[in-house]
Amino acid sequence: MTRPVTADLQRWSQEVASDPGSLSFLPLARAYRRQGQRDAALNLCLRGLEAHPMNLEGHGLLALLYLEAGDRERAADEWSMVLRLDPGNFDALRGLGFCYLETGELERSRQHLEAAALTRPADPAVREALQLLRQRQEARRVMAAPDRFGGTAGAGLGAAAPAGAAAAEVAPVPRPSPLAQEAEAAPAGTAGTAGTAGGDAVLADDPTRLFDAVMRGPVLGALLLDAQGLILAGALREPAGASAEGLGAGLGDAVEEAARTAEHLSLGAWEGILLHTEAAMLHLAPAPGDTVVVLAARRDAPVGWVMRGAARARELASRFLESYA
Amino acid sequence: MNPDAFDAAVAALTRVQGVRGAMVVEAETGVPVTAELAAGVDGGPLAALAASLFQRAGRATAAGSMGALTAVQLEAAGGHVVMAGAGPLVVVAIAESDAQLGMIRVEAERAAAGLR
Repeated sequence: MTRPVTADLQRWSQEVASDPGSLSFLPLARAYRRQGQRDAALNLCLRGLEAHPMNLEGHGLLALLYLEAGDRERAADEWSMVLRLDPGNFDALRGLGFCYLETGELERSRQHLEAAALTRPADPAVREALQLLRQRQEARRVMAAPDRFGGTAGAGLGAAAPAGAAAAEVAPVPRPSPLAQEAEAAPAGTAGTAGTAGGDAVLADDPTRLFDAVMRGPVLGALLLDAQGLILAGALREPAGASAEGLGAGLGDAVEEAARTAEHLSLGAWEGILLHTEAAMLHLAPAPGDTVVVLAARRDAPVGWVMRGAARARELASRFLESYA
Repeated sequence: MNPDAFDAAVAALTRVQGVRGAMVVEAETGVPVTAELAAGVDGGPLAALAASLFQRAGRATAAGSMGALTAVQLEAAGGHVVMAGAGPLVVVAIAESDAQLGMIRVEAERAAAGLR
């Protein structure tokens, strides 16, 4: 997608300022969202929808903004509005399917996800969500069934639930790509979530273990991120409390800025970013398909050693991506 | 802070072999405080971009509970950008592709420490 230039932003701002009913609120709000100015984007959307209450894209964008702000209820409201305006809207069906899956409303989730799958059968996030949904339904069925002692299977330790049943109840629900609604032209597989792009085979291989070969010595973990900063594979094992998802989401933004900086200085494409923190050292490297490989090591690790580990992690990531390209 | 301290920090960095420019930037606003750049390098946008990159990377490491960001090194085919945090300021050095990056990072961190 072509990024708006400063002139576009100025023009849209002026149009919205001079005419509160201008439809320019939509591209301007999208641009603010990409820049991380989510409050500004949210306010613009709310004001724009006052003038255009039937604007489909406005409600869809507002749903994403609410979801990113952690307000799942309002996100669901907005996607419901989208479905009232356009009953077959894929993004809204998928978004609501995820919301209901998170709240445990499995039957409603199934209805929405299956409708989304009819529209885009190959969407990896929907496929993964449906798989998770089936696991949860099965887990519920087993937990609710009376066992031979008259209790229920989930009533105590050592209960006879099938392997993975309890895990299915607590496993995180996939989320739609943050840019899903703006990436209509994106190839299937880029709008997915962690570990989805390879389908069942990749899930079976456990993508969290992709970088096991480099998880030695001072390495704290390694991640493969997609263009939106979502984790495709890998894991962080340290430091305690480290959030791979938080790190990935933030690094997506930083990588964009690094690319702009290199371009401004006519340095060519960026080849690596080394971050030193009080607790760790992180190396970021570009990988095929606009993905990024992150290697985290202890702060006192030798830089050269980290660079070699990063190169090895990049090889593993490339092979992983090739295996289901 | 004595304004001479900013100039001294930048001057020390530009003396390192392979460094073709350096600057001190306000991290929050992206405004250059002082700069010594090669001809043709527009310091204003560079300051804004460097500060933004440092801020975003810092937010990412904080979100990942990886600790506060202290330095950033951007590698590209045509050269490198090395940044070190100095509280509300960021020390930025632009280096040739074949520069001794370890030395530049040490000097950048030393300059940053002098400005804290």
